[in-house]
Formats: sequence, C-alpha cells, structure tokens
Amino acid sequence: MPFTRYVEIGRVALINYGPEYGKLVVISDVVDQNRALVDRPDEIRRVVNFKRLVLTDFKIDIPRLAKKSVLTKALEEADVFAKFSNSSWGRKIAKREAKANLTDFERHTALVAKVTRSKKVRTAFNALKKAAKN
Amino acid sequence: MAKEAVKPAGGRGRSLSYKKRGLWAIKKKNGGTFPVHAKAEKAEVAVTKAPRFYPAEDAKKPLNRSFVRNPTKLRASITPGTVLILLAGRFKGKRVVFLKQLPSGLLLVTGPFRVNGVPARRVNQAYVIATSTKVDVSGVDTAAFTDAYFKSTEKKTRKSKGEAEFFEDKLEKAALPAEYIANQKAVDASILSGLSAELKSYLGARFTLKSGDRPHLLKF
Amino acid sequence: MPIQGGYKYHQYQVVGRHLPTEKDAEPPIFRMKLWAQDTVRAKSKFWYFLAKLRKVKKANGQIVAVNEIFERRPTTIKNFGIWVRYTSRTGVHNMFKEYRDVTLNGAVEQMYQEMGSRHRVRSSALQIIKTATIKAADTKRANIKQFHDSKISFPLTRRMARPSDPRFKTTFKANRPNVAIF
Repeated sequence: MPFTRYVEIGRVALINYGPEYGKLVVISDVVDQNRALVDRPDEIRRVVNFKRLVLTDFKIDIPRLAKKSVLTKALEEADVFAKFSNSSWGRKIAKREAKANLTDFERHTALVAKVTRSKKVRTAFNALKKAAKN
Repeated sequence: MAKEAVKPAGGRGRSLSYKKRGLWAIKKKNGGTFPVHAKAEKAEVAVTKAPRFYPAEDAKKPLNRSFVRNPTKLRASITPGTVLILLAGRFKGKRVVFLKQLPSGLLLVTGPFRVNGVPARRVNQAYVIATSTKVDVSGVDTAAFTDAYFKSTEKKTRKSKGEAEFFEDKLEKAALPAEYIANQKAVDASILSGLSAELKSYLGARFTLKSGDRPHLLKF
Repeated sequence: MPIQGGYKYHQYQVVGRHLPTEKDAEPPIFRMKLWAQDTVRAKSKFWYFLAKLRKVKKANGQIVAVNEIFERRPTTIKNFGIWVRYTSRTGVHNMFKEYRDVTLNGAVEQMYQEMGSRHRVRSSALQIIKTATIKAADTKRANIKQFHDSKISFPLTRRMARPSDPRFKTTFKANRPNVAIF
C-alpha cells in the first residue's frame, strides 16, 4: 500500500498522547525529522514530536508559519474540524469519549437495553429457524 | 556574597523585596511608620513558697483527654437522595439510597428494602462510592431513625458451645419488632412513589467490575 | 508566551569585573553569555572562563549581574550554528554543528545530547565557543538543508500505535505490533 498522508505545511494532525488526546492541530512548519511546529486557532504555536501525532486525510492551504488570522480563515473555509468530527474516525473518538463519560446509572440502562435488544433478536431468530425447519 | 554589587538573578526581586521590607507601609497613606506589634505585657509572677512536702513516689498525672471529637465531614458528593454503592459487608455491591447523616457520623441508607433487600442501616462513608444519580427523598420522614434505633437489644453472649448444642440447629432468633417493619415500610413507600422503572431496576441490580473496567477511571 | 522550560541548560548573562584597586578605580567590566543549570553554576563558569581570558579571578573579582536570557521568538524555527571545543581521550577538538529548533537553549540541548552519544563527550569536557542564528542559505549541513523547503512533504514511516497515556502501557504484548500504518 502506498503512503497517502504526508507531513506537509497545512496537514491536519491529531494528537494521540496525554491529556490532549484527540485534539486537532495543523502543521505549521517542520523542525526536523522528529518534530513539527503545530498550530491551532486557540493556542500558541508549539513544537510536537511526530511520535505524538497522527496525520489525517485533511490538508489546508496555508503558507509556512501562517498567521493566526490566515490559519483560522483557512480552517473555516475548509471546515476541517467539523468534517473530521463527522468522519468515521472522529465519530469513533467521540463515541469512545461518550462511553468513558457514562455515569453508573447510564451504564446500567445501556446494559439493560443491550440485554433486551439481544433477547428480541434471539426470539426472532429462533422463530425463523423453527419456521425454516418445518 | 558581600562582594556582589548587585543581587543576582534568582534572588529576591524588586517587587518582592518591596513587600517584604515593608516599604509600602512607610508611605503616607499607610500611616507613615512601619507597623509594629505592641509588646504584650507580662503578668507579674506571684512569689510562692516552695511546698515543704513532696510525695515520695511520682504521682501519675492523668492523661489529657480534653480533645473534642469533631463531627464527621460528609463528602461533598453525598447529599440526601444520592445513590451509593456499598463496598463492604453483607450488602456489598448493592446500590442504596442515602437518607441522612446521623450524629455519629455514619450514613443512614436504605435499599429501599422492597427493591433490593437492604433495610435501613448505617454505613461508614469510607465504605461507599457516591454516584452522580439522585433520587427524590424530600417526602421521606427519617425522624424515627437515630443512632440508638440501631443499637442491638439482644445481649451478645459468647458461650462455648457444647457438642449437643452445636448440632442443635434450633437457632431462635428474636423476631423483629413490629415498629421496625412499619418504619421500613413507611420509608420504602415514600421513596418508591417517586422512582421510575429504570431507577428501580438500577437500584435492584448489584454493581460489579467487569473485565476491562478500570475502577479509577470510571465515572460514577 | 509559551513556557520555555524543560531544558537542562539555561542561557545566562553574567557581568563581572576586577575589584576596584588604588591603581585602577574603575576596572573594565566583562559580560559573558553562557549555558549553565542555574545561576550559581553560571557564576562558577564565568570565573572559570574569565580567569583563562583575563587576569581576573574570583578571589579578586566581583559579579555585577546575573540574568537569564530567554528566546525572543520561541514560535519560529531557526537554524542555529554552534561552535564547540571539547577534550576527548586523545586531545582537544573543535567542531561546528548545526541544529534546527525554536530556541537556542533547545539547540544547545540537542548539541549536548549528540556530543554525548556520538562522541561520548561529557558535558564537563565541553565548551561552547560561540553560537549564531544562521540564514537558510548559509547553512552547511545536508541534514539541515533538506528542511529548507516550503513545499516539504514526506511520509511518516514505521508508525506504531502507542498507548495514549503512560497509564495504559504494558510491558508484555501478545502480538507483535503492526507498524505498517499508512
């Protein structure tokens, strides 16, 4: 399989480590083979190691070391954050987070719902099986 | 470091030394003088004669037992109506409703008994996980439940059992006074009136850790 | 301002002079920029270097000021050149190194690490002669030059799924990791 995602100026990447897990950043410049300068509209530009980044499919059109206003505009035009959270990857992250934030009561109701559902599926399946036999 | 003409970096900064040296106080608006604590006057020591008699043996001084037992602080996450998970004892894993804190510091909880078989009982808050789920207990009258209410009336006597008594499986248990049953029923009824079917099934189920659960990362 | 921490060595500016004497009431003042772990070690380094360069030592000198120097723009990448001198097991060597970083302290940190790993030079055997910010056109090292490209593009190869938090680390795994993540 060929590579489809490259480290490029404007490449949107996901932080996959630590308390900032799931945060999207834009590569603003490449420091060296190990690190990139990344930016976000609400943050100060900073250096992040590639080991803590995962590249996404999104790339916005910005110059090297783009100003905050340019970056924000480009991000808004490309609608990257919304597109990512609508992608299956983004939905998976949101789902995982929602699951981790369930309270004890919500966990119980989810469990009950799952049991009822599988019970219904099982009865329907068994009925079909019986019908097929006869 | 007298040789150094200027305080080096890492020393007390300009603003800190201004504060510490009290320069702010010398300003006119603050009185113009450095504030000084008035010297406490010493009470004159009365001249007392040394006693003529000393006991031969050192008399034991009673230990100072003047400490005050502070009331137990209730965890902020526990308020009347909070669903708690019991962690120890006969009912461990049961989800119960918190009613109030008793003067002894223990928590008054109940199942309700109708739902999961936990009667009104006292638990230490250390053996409890507070969940974020709340049940309406505004209509519950807990006046009957005091610390004395839970004191056992049976005398605890530990007799060495003879062989005959050991095999005798006639264990006579004193029947629970009717008053206790009535109290429990009254509490159960007032809690149950506001319980949804989901909450009832929730309180009826035991809490367990399943494989892959990380208890310290779970939200309750 | 982003936090400019995490570096082992900080840059200090130390100013000092010879104590005033009858002969010379106003001795010349010397200023030195150097890297040290704290101000105490910075002053020590200052005396070490000054005694080598001028006829002033700690016993007859005084420190006028010690200040830490911070990076002015820690959000842009610069090419730093560092000239070093170190003593190896056989003799004294001079070297010129280039690094890309956002702060000079970061470049110095990289240099100490690299000298330690490539040449087994301990930090005590190393002296920084000079540092400079170098224009992209004037850089010499190929490893630095390859990043001077506003249309830079390269894939990240041999990617490994790592735990999102140290808490989730495991020492043993049932399966070899899949590193072919595109």
